[in-house]
Amino acid sequence: MSDEQSTLIALSDQLADAVAKAGASLVAVHARPRLPSTGLHWRDGVVVTTEATVRRDSDIEVTLPDGSRTSATLVGRDRGTDLALLRIAPGRLPVAPLGDPARLQPGHLVLALARLDGTAPRAAFGAVSATGGRWRCWKGGEIDLLVQSDLSLYPGFGGGPLVDASGRVQGINSGGLSRPLATTIPVGTVNRVVEQLLQRGYVSRGWIGAAMQPVRFDAATRTRLQRDGGLLLLSIEPDAPAAHAGLLVGDVIVTIDGVPLDTPDQLRDRLAGDVVGSSLKLELARGGTIVTSEVRIGERPRSRQ
Amino acid sequence: MMASFVSGAAARLIPSVVAIVDGAERGSGGAGIAWGASGFIVTNAHVATHRDVTVMAADGRRARGSVVARDARRDLAVVRAGGLELPGAPTGDPARLRPGALVFAVGHPFGVQDAISAGVLQAVGRLPRGFAVNGRGTHAWVQADVRLAPGNSGGPLADAAGLVIGVAAMIVGGLALAVPAPDVDALVATVT
Repeated sequence: MSDEQSTLIALSDQLADAVAKAGASLVAVHARPRLPSTGLHWRDGVVVTTEATVRRDSDIEVTLPDGSRTSATLVGRDRGTDLALLRIAPGRLPVAPLGDPARLQPGHLVLALARLDGTAPRAAFGAVSATGGRWRCWKGGEIDLLVQSDLSLYPGFGGGPLVDASGRVQGINSGGLSRPLATTIPVGTVNRVVEQLLQRGYVSRGWIGAAMQPVRFDAATRTRLQRDGGLLLLSIEPDAPAAHAGLLVGDVIVTIDGVPLDTPDQLRDRLAGDVVGSSLKLELARGGTIVTSEVRIGERPRSRQ
Repeated sequence: MMASFVSGAAARLIPSVVAIVDGAERGSGGAGIAWGASGFIVTNAHVATHRDVTVMAADGRRARGSVVARDARRDLAVVRAGGLELPGAPTGDPARLRPGALVFAVGHPFGVQDAISAGVLQAVGRLPRGFAVNGRGTHAWVQADVRLAPGNSGGPLADAAGLVIGVAAMIVGGLALAVPAPDVDALVATVT
């Protein structure tokens, strides 16, 4: 046998080892009609899967790697990041080995794993195609890192892990976040969401209760106010933080905490993370002058998550 | 790196891979494999639809072939083609492979001669619930994450050691399905 061939066989064995290693923490989630989805035993007694594949809130079961079925309860779901959390009896299977997705680079070999039934895990193979920093997906959730790969997410692969060639879990694959490419919710984001779902059953997001759009001032206003533009308030909900702070429709937010505003994303970023209860210091253009205001960030109503 | 290793393993297989031309797969033809030590060529039943077929070796030689066994339910046909003296491809049981093991297919996708696609094994056995189509869910399949196209039909799916573990037959839900080598052996054994 040539060196080339034994190297290929060694790589093949390594990939199969990676599948077996992470596969020991992999369950099939029965929470929708027909095909199950995949879940990963993230912490002892806690299974992570994708939110969109959990179609019912009760009568959920999971199939463990030994083929046995056990009941699971829904801890909570976060549409924004497409993650849902299930609780099963502790001590039934190993906890998944977690990696550090910040180290992934385009070209790294990766596998997507699934369990559709009680038999062996399933695998799809590819390479990381793009990486990047924080981004916001169309469902509204903040994702700490961009990890995109060229692998095919077959039916049932949603909720399963992306693993590297050594079997370490880099995140949870979601078919629903950006088709047709496989998008991975990285370990750090999953940990953050898991923490919040375990604490309160949902993910708290900052909210001030106002709709706005970016505007640029005309030349005269720019000169007079020494500001280029900002976010024009179009509507303010009654009894919302913006209303309590005395903001008015027609105000233009020109700075937040002293930083000039260029895009609505700057405000969204300030409302992300653990911010409920903290305050925003705003400068507003109102009636041709600058006034200041302080808004205490509220919690976005759960009906708007 | 991996590409060159795969092409090395595939290059050893290519002399055993043929094109089957009988107009059944429109425009592209299908593929076939000189099966082990049997002296026969194996392909899909849907590739060799007629009793007489034309077999073209990788080096361009052509020969007339005739179908000596057929199992339409398993989508297999066994072809005898005199005079080509092709080296038989070594075969192996896919059941000894684990999910994630490297596999590659050799065929003529869209008429491209001896093209190689690589991927990994997903499962060996019946299709998962929700995949089964046309009663095909009851058979065991080699299920692989590897890109196939018309023209791959009847060609080999091989493992990292270059052993042919199945005959590429179809794509269901994006998944490549191949008839497991032991099922092929069983049909070949009926021909004497």
